[in-house]
Amino acid sequence: MPETTYIEAITQAMHEEMSRDERVFLIGEDVGVYGGAFKTSAGLIEKFGPERVVDTPISEIAIIGAASGAALMGMRPIAEMQFIDFITCGYDMLVNFAAMNSYLFGRACPIVVRGPAGGGTHGGPYHSLNPEAMFMNRPGLKIVAPGTAYDAKGLLKAAIRDDNPVLYIEHKYLYRRIKEDLPSDDYIVPIGKANVRRRGKDLTILTWGAMIYVAGDAADELAKDGVSAEVIDLRSILPFDEEAILESVAKTNRVIILHEAPLTGGAGAEFAARIAEKAFDYLDAPIKRIAALDVPTPYSPPLEAAALPDKARVVKAAREILAY
Amino acid sequence: MAIDVVMPQMGESIAEGTVSRWIKKVGDKVERDEPLLEISTDKVDAEIPSPASGTLVEILAQEGATVPVNSVVARLAAEGEEAKPETSNQKPEAAAPAPAPAPAPQPAPAPEAPSTQDSALSTPIPEPEAAEDENVASLDERRRTKSSPLVRKIAKENNVDISQIPGTGVSGRVTKNDILEFLEKPKPAAPPSTQQPAPGTAAKPKVAAGSRIEPLSVMRRSIAKHMIQSKQTSAHVTTVFEVDFTNIDKLRRQHKESYGDRGVKLTYLPFIVQAVIAGIREFPILNSSMDEANVVYHSDINIGIAVALEWGLIVPVLKGADELNILGVARTVNDLGDRARSKKLSPDEVQGGTFTITNPGIFGSLFGTPIINQPQVAILGVGGVKKRAVVVETKEGDVIAIRSMCYLALTFDHRLIDGAVADQFMAKVKATIEAGQFTM
Amino acid sequence: MTDLSNEQLLEIDYYLRLTRALEERLVALFRQAKVIGGLYRSLGQEGESVAAAYALDYKQGDVVQPLIRNIGAILVAGARPVDIIKQYMAKGDGPTRGRELNIHFGHPAKDGFIGQISMLGDMIPVMAGIALAGRMQKRKLVTLAFIGDGGSSTGAFWEGMNFASVQKLPMVVIVEDNGYAYSTPTSKQSAAKTLADKAYAFGCAGVTIDGNDVLLVHDTVKQAVERARNGEGVTLIEVKTFRMKGHAEHDNQAYVPKELIAEWEAKDAVVRFEKMLVERAVATQDQIAAIQQRVKKEIDDATDEADRAPMPNPADAGKGLFIEDGYWGSR
Repeated sequence: MPETTYIEAITQAMHEEMSRDERVFLIGEDVGVYGGAFKTSAGLIEKFGPERVVDTPISEIAIIGAASGAALMGMRPIAEMQFIDFITCGYDMLVNFAAMNSYLFGRACPIVVRGPAGGGTHGGPYHSLNPEAMFMNRPGLKIVAPGTAYDAKGLLKAAIRDDNPVLYIEHKYLYRRIKEDLPSDDYIVPIGKANVRRRGKDLTILTWGAMIYVAGDAADELAKDGVSAEVIDLRSILPFDEEAILESVAKTNRVIILHEAPLTGGAGAEFAARIAEKAFDYLDAPIKRIAALDVPTPYSPPLEAAALPDKARVVKAAREILAY
Repeated sequence: MAIDVVMPQMGESIAEGTVSRWIKKVGDKVERDEPLLEISTDKVDAEIPSPASGTLVEILAQEGATVPVNSVVARLAAEGEEAKPETSNQKPEAAAPAPAPAPAPQPAPAPEAPSTQDSALSTPIPEPEAAEDENVASLDERRRTKSSPLVRKIAKENNVDISQIPGTGVSGRVTKNDILEFLEKPKPAAPPSTQQPAPGTAAKPKVAAGSRIEPLSVMRRSIAKHMIQSKQTSAHVTTVFEVDFTNIDKLRRQHKESYGDRGVKLTYLPFIVQAVIAGIREFPILNSSMDEANVVYHSDINIGIAVALEWGLIVPVLKGADELNILGVARTVNDLGDRARSKKLSPDEVQGGTFTITNPGIFGSLFGTPIINQPQVAILGVGGVKKRAVVVETKEGDVIAIRSMCYLALTFDHRLIDGAVADQFMAKVKATIEAGQFTM
Repeated sequence: MTDLSNEQLLEIDYYLRLTRALEERLVALFRQAKVIGGLYRSLGQEGESVAAAYALDYKQGDVVQPLIRNIGAILVAGARPVDIIKQYMAKGDGPTRGRELNIHFGHPAKDGFIGQISMLGDMIPVMAGIALAGRMQKRKLVTLAFIGDGGSSTGAFWEGMNFASVQKLPMVVIVEDNGYAYSTPTSKQSAAKTLADKAYAFGCAGVTIDGNDVLLVHDTVKQAVERARNGEGVTLIEVKTFRMKGHAEHDNQAYVPKELIAEWEAKDAVVRFEKMLVERAVATQDQIAAIQQRVKKEIDDATDEADRAPMPNPADAGKGLFIEDGYWGSR
């Protein structure tokens, strides 16, 4: 494929999966006739018709609930949240109904709930959410968060083909800013495997989503001082690639966990605890987490930039642990 | 057998119930589901139906008694049985039994707390007195002496005291680099008087023009350190046995294809592993560790298998080998070897060995005199298996036969193990291999 | 009158009696500390539960979704008493292997029914989704959902009804006004004159009927099911009935006026139905007694079987979170 943006990768994944499997359908607000608020589903209704691209009323409870019911009957729905922030309106249906089907009832509920997440676009507190930690502690749900166009396509396909409910967190900041050459064949990115974006020996930066680029910039800056940082893109938050994390920490002995969601109770806390528990003997410095301030994401650009993590904070933390 | 009638839980937060009235009395016949008694709780009053058909033989909770949920209030004899009422030791706690039948339900009385308990609870528990010689170290001191988990691990493995090492980290902390550099430097302590150079100090080699200088890799430095320390710790003695592997050849030929079909390469190693285990079972001292005062006989048999790598040497450990058959051992050994070569071993897999097998014969050596892998007390070096003409004693007299022969060399720590024991162990290993009785 | 055959009428009586006897046995087991947790009765509502479920055509893939007071509905759809008792006794080989309680079980594509989850109203969007899938799969299946007066106040109910109605999905929703949601009378639940009036908001058909008239409930639901199957959309049927016991076994409903209970007792659907069967010579008293005997034996056998069943193995507590765990085998 020629240069494909992150959002085009998502569109392609949906097109290809809906062509490949007639059970796959899309349901959400403005996804059909309008092609999606961000145009993520452009062209779908023209190709597959209104039966398979369902425009709904403003009803996150009904979107997720109906998708779940249809999934029990053998369909493979993709339920779109226009902004992932609105998943909070349908939280009950996702965690109490969809996610519990396998454990309680032995029923497969293969829904994908996807939507644009993340800040950096001055969307304000209701259009900037990073939701993974809200769902991490509700067993039965898989959670993925691609940061590259390649992973966006491969993970969405994997999510659609997975027999369990999957929360697919796409990042709106990356939609049109990331362009990559993608393979033209049908490929998937397995859920639960991290990607080592950059190998290094002095410290590990563990991250995902849009933050992988902040990590890369920080690594570049550190390289000027001769520090080689390893950057791991987790890609899947649950299940997560514990082996890759521990292997890296055993090698570098220092780790920074970087995520865009707020610090306290963020997903990074789980990884930090896991590292402390299982790689204690390999740590030569305290585990550091760089995350957003513990506030709702503010709207005005200088406030938003101050609230979210950036390269400078990562570099500062790296220097601290290197000097420890 | 008697059937228990219990106080049910009439609501999630209910912990006890009161017997208000017995509808049936001892000796009465009852049908399944027929009402037996009335109870009352904080939330509701209810009739309790009989769990089975039979005779009410014993009442354990009288009217007015308040008992915890799930305690037995009565017993039935099932239909067709003559049960005597058992005098149960498990009388339910009756907190405040009322006098003669009180049909009006009583509220569950709160258990009375004896006054001594109250006062005990209200007296704050005194803080234990701090031991007088305990001084709480400052953060700086702790950093200096305890450093980080990684540095502590390296220090322990190398038997060094962190506080003796100069530190460049925060508060003067010894960092990983600090301790690694320290370990490479010459040490003042001298070994027992021999002409040998002090540990870790090779005589500095002369550098003639045209010589090439290459820094030692971390792994090579680690190996060098281990080797010399091992030599200085154990009293190394090697005993060599000649072993007939012809029966093993037979087994390999027989099973090669079926193993191959399962993706498993069948070498001599699994057989040697099993023979070693047989030897260890009879002579467990070969599977132990020691210090100045004690010998520790390890409960697990974890066989380290030395693997030669392009860049050095690594010893993955086969755990629980005594529970596997030949197929299991072969499969595990293949897997460990593959992953050793592709650097996919986990830290767990190169630790915890209790005995090591190494294979100098792989490149043609007759036998070797391997160095013990501390803190073990023995290591088996396997020479090359070669066809030789040997004298075989038969009923008809001595004949010359062509057999697959191999030298097995056991290096053992003579501080702990005497030659006689080592040889008996090896005799057992030899006999096991030569007998060729293995569970494939 | 009705187009149900005598055989079918007797079968309905069997289900009415089976429901009542099963619940009476569950109450006994609860008071014998063999049932774990809470116990909820449908006394007074067996008529509408059985009658409505009886109007579906399970061969076409129709699916019924009960709430706690609709055991009768899933018995009609084919649920087995032994499975329900095992659920209540938290047994390890019941339909959810001890992971869920009450009648929370059932697979819509395989069993003809799907049990509810505790969040009231949530099943309405789910049933809409099942109906939507049926249409996408070019099948003619109809879904039947039960909701209570209390449940019809929830956001999930509103979103589900609205979605199903605007999509004209093949769905019938029974809203049971049984007088109380726990201790809250219907007058405190909604200012609407009748719960069926909510149909105006959704733009679907709505009707209010006597929930204790078994034949009327059956015929009304049957018509609504036909409408749905013909693509005419959703019907909201309000059945007026009464909750004869408290919210659960631990609740003595002291807040309900005694006269109200007596008034409704006189209108008991099961007694009424059997009286009608005898009056119209559909059945004799002996036949009705025989049904009750048959039911008693069936419940006794089911109880014995459930009693013998093992509790779950604690080692299984962490298994089966994801389909690929393989814990449930093929389901």
